[in-house]
Formats: sequence, structure tokens, C-alpha cells
Amino acid sequence: MKKFAAYQKTAFVIGILLILIFLSCMAWIIFPKPHSDGLTADIYQDGKLLQSINLSAVAEPYTFTVQGENGGTNTIEVRPGSIAVISADCPDKICVHQGFISTSLLPITCLPNHLVIQIRESATDKETATEPALDMISY
Amino acid sequence: MRIKKLTLLAMFTTLALIIFTIESAIPPLIPIPGIKLGLANIITLVLLKNYSFQDTLWVLLARILLSAFFFGQALSLLYSLMGGLCCLLMMYLTNRLLKGHYIFLTSIAGAISHNLGQLFIAYLITAVPGVLVYLPFLMLSAILTGFFTGLCAHFIQRYLMPAIAGSQSDLKSGGDN
Repeated sequence: MKKFAAYQKTAFVIGILLILIFLSCMAWIIFPKPHSDGLTADIYQDGKLLQSINLSAVAEPYTFTVQGENGGTNTIEVRPGSIAVISADCPDKICVHQGFISTSLLPITCLPNHLVIQIRESATDKETATEPALDMISY
Repeated sequence: MRIKKLTLLAMFTTLALIIFTIESAIPPLIPIPGIKLGLANIITLVLLKNYSFQDTLWVLLARILLSAFFFGQALSLLYSLMGGLCCLLMMYLTNRLLKGHYIFLTSIAGAISHNLGQLFIAYLITAVPGVLVYLPFLMLSAILTGFFTGLCAHFIQRYLMPAIAGSQSDLKSGGDN
């Protein structure tokens, strides 16, 4: 065993700490805490609330179609705890590629069809329910 | 402050500003606010190795203020200031602990504390506990970008610094020893 200097031992400890942080962050991301109740999906068309779906109360998956003003359609599938746009006739299909959302982190938007699906975790307060959690992003 | 040292520090400030400008022109690949490469920390690391804490602090403050005036809103100034100061403090402490070795560990520690500081002040200002959900993503990106930044600083220190300054003593004293 060769002699390690003090700074090398410190570096080793810091390295172990970093590996622990890395692993715990991976675990936090891969295994999200399930929000058992209070998940509501708000579907907005042209800024007007079309409907609010209580995702926790959904027993069986179902699909429905939303019509836009310019004749654009989005087919939405609702599953227990998550919601997604599974097909759309917009040119980019960004909304379709986003897949299922189950948290209020990022909404699904279909800009050509003026459609926004925002999840609201209504466990907190109902007064600010229509405001998004973040209203400014700066870098 | 001697003229040569002042000029060199001003050059480093300009370098940091240029790096920051180019980095802010890169479109955000990951849609999480606060994720960025943090390449300007390369300059901070190099300065920490070659200059005193006060000099690094001056350059950091000048870079943050100037970049906020050129590019940002007043609120982003507060975020950058908090993040930058936390980063500098943590990097200084880690550098002292590690006696100047293993720059990439210093830079990772700095990147982590930068993101923590920004997240913390975002939480204080917006009072929305939802911003804390970004914590694991920011930590991961901090570890990765800190590693990259540390490697860049290591190679700059090894290959570029002897070319910039004539000798090690030349840097600190400013050329009049």
C-alpha cells in the first residue's frame, strides 16, 4: 500500500460523495413518487378551457378527439394518471412525440391547433390553479 | 495593481464574456431552465489556480455585471450573481482542500453549488416549491458539465498558461520582480 497524501484522500472522499449524489439523482428521476390523488389535466383550446379531466379518477383508458378552428384535430388518450396526444394532423407532430405526461412539469402543446394540455396537481390551492407554476424562464 | 496584472485580468474578463456570449447563443437542447454548459467557469478555475481569491472575485463580479447589462434582465443578474458567488466560494474551498490537484473535482463542486445557489434563490423569489423538482436534473447536468469544464481548465492550465505568461512568478507580481 503506497502512502496517499492528504489531498488524495480528500479527493477520494469527494469522488465517493459525487458518485452517491449521481446515483441518488438517477434514482430520483427513474422512480418518480406517484401522485396518487389530485391530478387534473386541463385541456385548453385557443386559451379557453375545454374540459378538466381528473386523471386519478380514470379507471380505464379512453380516447377522444378535439377539433380546432382551422379544422385541425388532435386525438387525446387518457390513462389512469397520464394523458397524451396520440395522433394529430399538424405538420410537426411535436405534440405526438412528447408522449404521456403525468406531472405538471411540461405541458403538451400543439401550436398549429392552438391546443394546450396542462396537468394541475390540485393538492395545493385552487385559486392559482389557472396560473402555470413558472411564468418566466431566464438563462 | 500592476499594469501587466491588470491587463491580464482584463483579458481574462473579456475571455469569460466571449465564452458566455457564445454559450448563450447555443439553443437549449434540454427544456429545463438553468441547464447550461457553464463554460465561463473555465476562466474562474484558471484564475483560482494562478491568482488570489480577491482577483478571481473581481473578475467574476465584472463578468457577471457586464454580461447582465449586455444580455439579461435585472432578475437574471440576481440569479447569476448568486450562482456565481456560490460557485466561487465552493471552488475556492475545494481547491484549498485538494491543494490545487484534481481540478475536475473542484469544477464539479463549483458547478453543483452554482446550480444549487440558483435553484435556492429561484425558490426564494418565486416561492413555488415546484421549482425544487428540477433538483436531480440540475445535479446530474452539473456533474457532467463540471467534469467537462474541469478538463478544459486542466488543459488550458497545462498548455496555454505557460504561453500567456512568461513564468509563474510573472503572473502574480505583474512583471516587476
